[in-house]
Amino acid sequence: MSQSGSRFALLFIILSCLIAAGCLASARDNSFFGKTDPPRENILRYVSGSEPESLDPQIPNNQNEARISLALFEGLAEYDPKTSEPIPALAERWEVNKDWSEVVFYLRHDGNFSNGDPITARDFVYTIRRGLKPELGSRAASLAYPIKYAQAFNEGGVFVLDPASRMFLLEKDFAESEAPMPTPAPAPQAPTGKSEIQSPKNANADTEFHRFMQAPARLVLPGTEKARNKALEANPKLKAAAAGKEFVPVTAEAVGVEAVDDYTLRISLMQPAPYFISMMPHQFFRALHSKTIETFGNRWTDPNNIVTSGPFTLESWKHYDRIVVKRAPHYWDAANVHLDKIVFYLLESNTTMLSLYKSGGLDATYNHTVPSAWLDKVGQMKDFMDASEAAIDFYNFNTTKGPTKDVRVRKALNMSLDKKALADWRHVHPLTSIIPDGIFPGYPQPKGDPFDPEKAKRLLAEAGYRDSSGNFDPQKFQASEIELIVNPDANNVPYAEFVQAQWKQNLGATISIRVMEGKTFFTAQINLDYKGVSRTGWAADYLDPFTFLGIFYTPRGSNGTGWWDPKYVELLDRANRTTDHQQRYAILAQAEQLLLDAQPVIPLVVGTTRFVKKPYVKGLYPNPVTLHSWKAVYIERDPAKWDYGMPDMSK
Amino acid sequence: MLRFIIRRVVVIIPVLFIVITLTWALVRLAPGNFYTSEKKLAAGIERNLREKYGLNQPWYIQYGKILKNIARLDFGNSLKYEGQSVNQILWRALPVSVALGLSAYVLALIVGITMGTLSALKPNSWIDYSSMTLAMLGISVPNFVLGPLLVLIFSLTLFWFPPALWDGFPSLSVVLPAVTLSGIYIAYIARLTRSEMLGIMRSDYIRTARAKGLSEFQVVTRHALRGSLLPVVSFTGPELAFLITGAVVVEKVFALPGIGNYFINACFNRDEPLIIGIVAFFAITVLVFNLLVDIAYGFIDPRIRYS
Repeated sequence: MSQSGSRFALLFIILSCLIAAGCLASARDNSFFGKTDPPRENILRYVSGSEPESLDPQIPNNQNEARISLALFEGLAEYDPKTSEPIPALAERWEVNKDWSEVVFYLRHDGNFSNGDPITARDFVYTIRRGLKPELGSRAASLAYPIKYAQAFNEGGVFVLDPASRMFLLEKDFAESEAPMPTPAPAPQAPTGKSEIQSPKNANADTEFHRFMQAPARLVLPGTEKARNKALEANPKLKAAAAGKEFVPVTAEAVGVEAVDDYTLRISLMQPAPYFISMMPHQFFRALHSKTIETFGNRWTDPNNIVTSGPFTLESWKHYDRIVVKRAPHYWDAANVHLDKIVFYLLESNTTMLSLYKSGGLDATYNHTVPSAWLDKVGQMKDFMDASEAAIDFYNFNTTKGPTKDVRVRKALNMSLDKKALADWRHVHPLTSIIPDGIFPGYPQPKGDPFDPEKAKRLLAEAGYRDSSGNFDPQKFQASEIELIVNPDANNVPYAEFVQAQWKQNLGATISIRVMEGKTFFTAQINLDYKGVSRTGWAADYLDPFTFLGIFYTPRGSNGTGWWDPKYVELLDRANRTTDHQQRYAILAQAEQLLLDAQPVIPLVVGTTRFVKKPYVKGLYPNPVTLHSWKAVYIERDPAKWDYGMPDMSK
Repeated sequence: MLRFIIRRVVVIIPVLFIVITLTWALVRLAPGNFYTSEKKLAAGIERNLREKYGLNQPWYIQYGKILKNIARLDFGNSLKYEGQSVNQILWRALPVSVALGLSAYVLALIVGITMGTLSALKPNSWIDYSSMTLAMLGISVPNFVLGPLLVLIFSLTLFWFPPALWDGFPSLSVVLPAVTLSGIYIAYIARLTRSEMLGIMRSDYIRTARAKGLSEFQVVTRHALRGSLLPVVSFTGPELAFLITGAVVVEKVFALPGIGNYFINACFNRDEPLIIGIVAFFAITVLVFNLLVDIAYGFIDPRIRYS
């Protein structure tokens, strides 16, 4: 027995030595994480997350697919590699009219699909109409809702036609009392820096369609009888007017996109949407080849069938393994595409991808891929990319029941959290408001409540949790009525533990954490089926403050908090009708302040990119949305020109 | 014999029916849907999706459709992966899982039997102790620990094998996952072989073989090993089905495009047709392998006769 014991000990020692050797070997070159030998060919090996739901850019709406779409497809505008702001791509320039009801895009004349077919304005008309088709089931279709009748078409709505007069009923005649206020007088013009505000030239080309678009908006009712009757019941005036009328389905042809000529695309908007241009690089709006889609149906993305519009085209797709894209020969800017191929590995385990990266099998990863436990080590290295992103982490309050129904309790729980300590601990930036600082220059950021545990206790005492002398009494506070629920992704659990410790330390309240499986968690959150607090986050869909404030724009509080305020919605509507950039920001900031006062959420931290990139990969920047314009990326073989640290992000 | 086989095949149908119904019910009871995510969908879009995938129909119609599909051995289309059918996914993932499972199986047999035999021939020697210690470790170290440990040593320190991904079969990328997957089976087989062999080496017919003047090598390979392999066969037969279908953890750790990896993600994605398809496939595989093992017994062991 003793003999076998010593053998075991020997074995244990050998194993430990091997593991120690592993740690030592990796510590040898401590400036970079693993190998730094550039690949022999001009091929970037990237990881983009899990298997795409589809390569059809209009169906899914996740980052992993977006990154691949950026290689395969191109839109009117592209994300700037450093700032993520929209820059011209297939459109050389664009113009917006005074009241933001029309945007005209002037397309380049040399844009081509991967099969050589030219890309014209008609292709964009097709793309947008197709994305909105209800049968397609696009998850991102709501991004196009600012376009006239886009929502009506996507939701299967109907126009109401008076058979006697052959006239359609108009929306303005049935506006409810809480309808939008009249459009304010045009504000003094100020250049936005992003687009010229002037009367479009070609936009004056008057067509029948254009007159239809310019005419007052038609009334739209739900397409299904059940939903329509419900809407009619709610509005007697409407019901009376709709009696005996014909219901005409809204078709794709009614959607406000028009090819004025081959290279001029005119888009009419339902209501002013100053954030519209910043949505144009989204994958939903990238040019698609109509013939391919109509021929192959939902198999059009197969490598043998696919026709693409971006700098790369699909070479192969080994499911659950890798997607390889190769340079597209007919791409208009092919001369400036540096890489011959990009390999996207379809991985989602952070540990696996970092192992692969360390062993030299991967050249870069995407955001948040360095697990928090590795930050202390990898965070020191020169290939660690850490920049602020347009993404926030925050907690929702259930404002409909329990102690968190009381705004004082919500404020107290927010104030008793030292967010700076949390941020320092996790190498991120603290967040006290909803919109992350520094992403939108010139935005008059309101400040949320600062860290103030004493005030928090006073608020809780006011809310009734006090002893006989009127001081806050942790014993009275029903901490058991509050629970913090999180899903186990990324750093959610360590964050939650930190927050829990803060509440314990600063309020003496023990609030328990419940970790739930992803979809179970999201369902509980959406249905407000939780006690107290639930974790959430938001990554910008487009670079405009509205992407963050819009979370709470949802009707009747279906935003995981149950909070909803018509005043807030009204402010946002007013802001979006305001064409002056600064003035609009000021109104958005008012709305944000209103939200912060109601405190339906606890802002926590601003996301940071936290990915790794080999020093020889150039042109790939830690931008605010971690979506890279792949044509800018190249492999640098001269170590003198490598990135030793973060690349220069200034323009 | 034929009647036995027919009877067993017929039994598969109700078992499959129960398995599928239970799976379907469990998937339906789980909260969330394939499109549920952090970003809540607009109401109209959610309606379009439910319409597109027939989720707005009454449950019995949806259930009936699933049964009808399965009767035709067509599991329908994946909800998560647009335009991919479950059958397509299964056929694509199966070769990976089979290649991995068989590699691990062969490895486990070769290493396990060798270790067990060597230990039995030199009981209480250092060979015996070290191989039995290894076997003990193999049984007690779960493969989600063994896998990353092997990666740390052989991929990130020695740079011998890739730490993840599948480069086809055969390739270096098979080595670490196959070793990880076979770990526990090596251990079982080694211990089984050893104990069986120890008994047999003391039996009369081995003494007879030695008395005939056969070399020790011949005694072991021709006589002792044969006898001691019977329990190994009966252990590993059904295990083969699990090796092919049950590599869920290993496929996940090494990010291999096998059925197990698809299965885990299908569950997290609430991809109902894919979950049901894979479960049905697992069930059929296990049932068929059990049947094969039962038939094989009839041939190996003369005491078993099916009538």
